[in-house]
Amino acid sequence: MKFEMNKFENSRLFSYRYLFLALLLLIVASGLLLLPKNNKQQGITPEALLANAISPERYMSSDKLAHIYVNQDPSYVVVDVREKEEFTTYSLPNSINIPLPTLLSDDGMAYLDQNQYDIVFVSNDDFKANQAWILANRYGFKNMHVLKGGLQSWFTTIINPAKPTEQMPAEAFETYSFRKAASMYFGVAYPEEVKIIKKPTVKKAAPKKVVVPKKKKKKMPIEGGC
Amino acid sequence: MGPLIPNGVIPFEWNNIIAIIIGIAFGFILESSGFSSSRKLAGVFYGYDFAVLKVFFTAALVSSIGLLYMDYLGYVDMSFLYVHPTYLWGAIIGGVIMGVGFVAAGFCPGTSLCAVAIGKIDAIVYVIGIMVGIVIFAELYEVFQPIYDGYFKGYITLDETFNISPYLFIFLFTIIALVTFFISDIIRKKRKKVHHY
Repeated sequence: MKFEMNKFENSRLFSYRYLFLALLLLIVASGLLLLPKNNKQQGITPEALLANAISPERYMSSDKLAHIYVNQDPSYVVVDVREKEEFTTYSLPNSINIPLPTLLSDDGMAYLDQNQYDIVFVSNDDFKANQAWILANRYGFKNMHVLKGGLQSWFTTIINPAKPTEQMPAEAFETYSFRKAASMYFGVAYPEEVKIIKKPTVKKAAPKKVVVPKKKKKKMPIEGGC
Repeated sequence: MGPLIPNGVIPFEWNNIIAIIIGIAFGFILESSGFSSSRKLAGVFYGYDFAVLKVFFTAALVSSIGLLYMDYLGYVDMSFLYVHPTYLWGAIIGGVIMGVGFVAAGFCPGTSLCAVAIGKIDAIVYVIGIMVGIVIFAELYEVFQPIYDGYFKGYITLDETFNISPYLFIFLFTIIALVTFFISDIIRKKRKKVHHY
């Protein structure tokens, strides 16, 4: 009888404990529903964005881009983030036009959200390209670059490079000759480089007089017949 | 801040050491709460003991509620957590085999090792069975591979599949758990008690 009593008490005790634990679980779980919504940081952390922003990988010089063009490196995609009218007026060869407002549309994302290619953002100066770079980076996309100085710098360095003066170091001359060669690749003509190649005039050989030797008939002495 | 190891708070080299310590603690608690008894474990199928159901259901709830709170407060970034990929038919068939083994032997793989540690002969036989199963699977891998690798659904979660907030999902899940516990208690009281040792 005593055993029975004990058992009864035990089961009551346990059921209270269970009830308390069940209520606790319910309260804690319903607390999740009542949490005020906070805007969570989407994409990469601010620290990672900062680290990318100060990384030397961020900017690509126009010389490097020219190198890529000349070597026809297939791993780079040049994305022009200017408006369509500007793009049609002038654009880099093989570049893709994704105007900045449409960068995060499905078409734009298809180019950015991949791991195969390095993307180079191009605009008139750095400004729009950098905006695109920040957006792409916050999505966590890899291998994003900005053309340093944009198309203006492209014009002043590659298309129309300034000739170094005589007191400049030798590297300046090397850079100049590379830029000049690159600009010729892009179709800029330099008058001093154009050599007027004189076609060697081929003298027509006078037709040889074919001398057909005429057999001179020797006058044979008339021999007497029989 | 968290998870601690991916964020470098704890060096990566500590990974295995921490895993061993947690594993020892897990095994000790399993054994000390009677989970190395196949009678207790099989009770969930026969309706006289629902400790397995309650313990593992509660563990899942406590950890997910805790993670959601910590994620909300910024202590743990849940996007870092590993989501197990879903191979649909592999999971279903594997689950059925696992369930049959569980009810037939009275152990799940983890608790069987606990029982081996305290020298239970049925558990030793069970673990040998696991090894035989592993060998069979490895030898016939090419036959099973289409199921093992196929029907891949990606790293999906229930709240994303049903398109509800994880908070609401965990709340509903808690209610389901509590109702299940309540019903299981009613079933248990109707059954004759079986002693396990």
